Amino acid sequence: MSRGNLFLSALLWFILAFFVIYPLSFLVFESFKIAGTNDLGIQNYIDFFKDTYYLKTFGHTLLLGLLVLLTSTAFGLPLAYILARYRLRGKTVLTALILLPIVLPAYAGAFAFIVFFGKQGTLNLLLLQLGLITKPINFIFGLHGLVFIQALHLLPFIVLSLSAGFTNIDPSLEEAAEVEGAGGFKRFLTVTLPLCTPNYLAGAVIVFLWPFTDWLTPLIFGQIDFLPSISYINIAYHFTDMYRKYMGIVSVVVSSVICIAMFLISKRWVESKKYTSLSKGTTLEGRIVEPGTFKRFWSYVYMGLIAILVLLIPTVLGLSAFSRRWALTPIPTYWTLDNFKLIFLESPALLKNSFVFSGVALIWGVAFGLPAAYLITRTKVIGKEALDFVITLMLAFPGIAVGVSYLLAFWEGIPLATLWIIMPLSLFVRRLPYFVRMAHASYLQLDVSLEEASEMSGAGKLKTFMNISFPLLLKGIFVGIVMFFIMAFQEISTAIFLYRGGWETLPIGIFLNWHRGMEFGIAAAMAFFMIVIIFILLLIVSRIGGGIIGAAWGSSGGRY
Amino acid sequence: MAFIKIENLFKKFGKVAAVNHVWLEVKQGEILTLLGPSGCGKTTTLRCIAGLERPDEGDVIIDGKSMFSQGFVPPSKREIGMVFQNYAVWPHMRVFDNVAYGLKIQKFPKNVIKKKVAETLESLGLTGLEGRFPGQLSGGQQQRVALARALVGNPKVLLLDEPLSNLDAKLREKMRFEIKSLVRRMGITSVYVTHDQAEAMVISDRVSVMNAGDIVQVGTPEEIYKKPANRFVADFIGTTNFITGEISELLKERELVYVHAEFGQKMLCKIPDPAMASTNNKVNISIRPEDIEVFTEPREGKDNLFKGTIMHRAYLGNFLYLFVNVDHTMIRVQAPYDIRQKEGEELFLFLDPEKCVLLP
Repeated sequence: MSRGNLFLSALLWFILAFFVIYPLSFLVFESFKIAGTNDLGIQNYIDFFKDTYYLKTFGHTLLLGLLVLLTSTAFGLPLAYILARYRLRGKTVLTALILLPIVLPAYAGAFAFIVFFGKQGTLNLLLLQLGLITKPINFIFGLHGLVFIQALHLLPFIVLSLSAGFTNIDPSLEEAAEVEGAGGFKRFLTVTLPLCTPNYLAGAVIVFLWPFTDWLTPLIFGQIDFLPSISYINIAYHFTDMYRKYMGIVSVVVSSVICIAMFLISKRWVESKKYTSLSKGTTLEGRIVEPGTFKRFWSYVYMGLIAILVLLIPTVLGLSAFSRRWALTPIPTYWTLDNFKLIFLESPALLKNSFVFSGVALIWGVAFGLPAAYLITRTKVIGKEALDFVITLMLAFPGIAVGVSYLLAFWEGIPLATLWIIMPLSLFVRRLPYFVRMAHASYLQLDVSLEEASEMSGAGKLKTFMNISFPLLLKGIFVGIVMFFIMAFQEISTAIFLYRGGWETLPIGIFLNWHRGMEFGIAAAMAFFMIVIIFILLLIVSRIGGGIIGAAWGSSGGRY
Repeated sequence: MAFIKIENLFKKFGKVAAVNHVWLEVKQGEILTLLGPSGCGKTTTLRCIAGLERPDEGDVIIDGKSMFSQGFVPPSKREIGMVFQNYAVWPHMRVFDNVAYGLKIQKFPKNVIKKKVAETLESLGLTGLEGRFPGQLSGGQQQRVALARALVGNPKVLLLDEPLSNLDAKLREKMRFEIKSLVRRMGITSVYVTHDQAEAMVISDRVSVMNAGDIVQVGTPEEIYKKPANRFVADFIGTTNFITGEISELLKERELVYVHAEFGQKMLCKIPDPAMASTNNKVNISIRPEDIEVFTEPREGKDNLFKGTIMHRAYLGNFLYLFVNVDHTMIRVQAPYDIRQKEGEELFLFLDPEKCVLLP
């Protein structure tokens, strides 16, 4: 083991200790404080689990998680099967559309659906005008609306993981079932589906845990009885009410514990169940068939419907962005560029902040992620498994937990929170896994003998990295950079706790414009603008290497 | 009596004909091997019998029933057992459930399933492993589970797609005989696909050699070894020397011909079909290394005795393997181990006319 690796590892651990472990331990510590005294105890937790309101909220969140999982599975299963097994024209474009929500912020979808499906929304107005209904239908306000919007947002996780499962199954396993007498549906139930369970679970756990981390979507739909939402309200608005503050912190800790526990259990289970195939001659694309006319038709209809739902988001936001006072008509009547003028002329700081904060976070992310990926994949340095573990764990950590713990840890003791640097810092910590996983995935694809050959020719470790590894990893690194940027750019859960006047980012601007009841058009214009930026970045990524994204998402979900 | 009839089978992938109008019959209870290099169409033919592939033309008839021309019979309705190259043992089911799968689908009563599975596992030496998952078995054991699963339902036909190619050499050799005796005992009509000619020789009653989508020759292992139909078969089955030449004289009474060989000398060869012997016909002579006799001294009055120089000499224990240069033609010879001549020294090769096979 070289000294350099040890030093590098120590440095990374120091960063993790200071920016991740220290603040998070502060959060846990705070949750054990007893209000009004200097004592520690589990009083807050006892109060939390005795309070019928918080228990109800807890149950609500679990229920929402289950319903979202069921819904996205019901819709995702056929979709994944179509994508994995049928040869269809235009499949690539439709797939890209269906997977789009994975990079869109959930709140953008929520806004769009309120405008379209709301009580005075486009759909109700159209139905009223056509005389099909006499009273507006409540499409989305309530639990069903939340389930609908979150299921659509999380559909890509189910579709990606299941279709990877369908593709990876060795064709002969299904053929063997056919020969043994199991045709069609029976074969699907007894062989195909069980073999996909590890893949499915990896995606399912992300979906199930989402309601434990997303506080904003319920708020947009006017509901607060979910753990993250009530935590946000308790902490952001009732910081002086000790009881509510501590209940908020306890809910954050409870959510985090659930997220991490579920994440670890599923990871464990997936790894123990990984069905390694003996096959050497399986085709890369698995078992793709030419569907008959009937199946082809319904596949297109089904994919088309979901693609339309996804497309509604940018369409509706676009319509709102280019209009004013859009109300009580199916489509806007007054078109204008005022919203954009307002954004660019009156609050250009928002844009600047977003780019600067995400950019700085990105630089740190790369500076941390490359050595981390190197240590994890290429060295035997002590504690590299733990390093990988802590970084991966950040995927499961609710953003609200990071935000609150930063607020607690960096306010009095180490007053980092008074400096703007806290904003990119929290983004860096929150999105840490995205770049590391991507670099990790491309490192795994890089044959180690290529590097060894360079060392045999006399180049040192650093020279080898610069001359051989870096150029070969470049594609993966670039994809990682873009993905990190996209995810940092739309981050709100953490930033909302830390921003001060003048530090607002685009997502915070969206939230404030909606929340303070200002013009919805401005919020929509901002969201639309953000979607456009994300879309451009996404186009660049897909040009460079779609395969690597899949690999990285796969490993981030604990798949391969 | 033909139990499986393959009639004019044609299947193309893209523009390539994988199986090119093939006719073949498999007799009841026999083990027939489809042998050929990769891409010759042997696996596609097998998969058509299984129903996993649908031919573009032609039909497969099993036990008098058409599988394609009178409506497609799906694999699940064909009453066949199949062993896949990668075993295809389901990793999420225990050994018992893997083997019992087909019986459960056919809704046999539980106790019957138990009894049948236990019997089959016993005959394959798997007793005691019922509760294991495939991941806990060795490659050889998984192979046996695959075999048990294929045999447990007493199928009409057993199809084996290179079942031994993933095993190590020692185990492979053992399994050849084991599969053969097991299938014999059960009397199941079997079609076996392999690219390994030694495996084909051991296991089959008859071998069907395929090349580029065509069946080149069908016969017992001995027939195809001793009387290869053409250069491809002679080359593919075992090792052989090819000597090109032209027929110069026909000795009708002894079914022999003189061939003017490439190394400039006259060779006497047996001719299987006198019709081949219109003079000046270009031919290939095939002679196996083990059929060549080696003399250290010249013998007077002997036909087909040629002087050559040893180029390479390898000691293989029970025999010597020599590359002998006979006037710029390299001939491989399997010689007795007590030949003392070294590389660069001369000796005499006797190519027995009876063992020189004339190929078109």
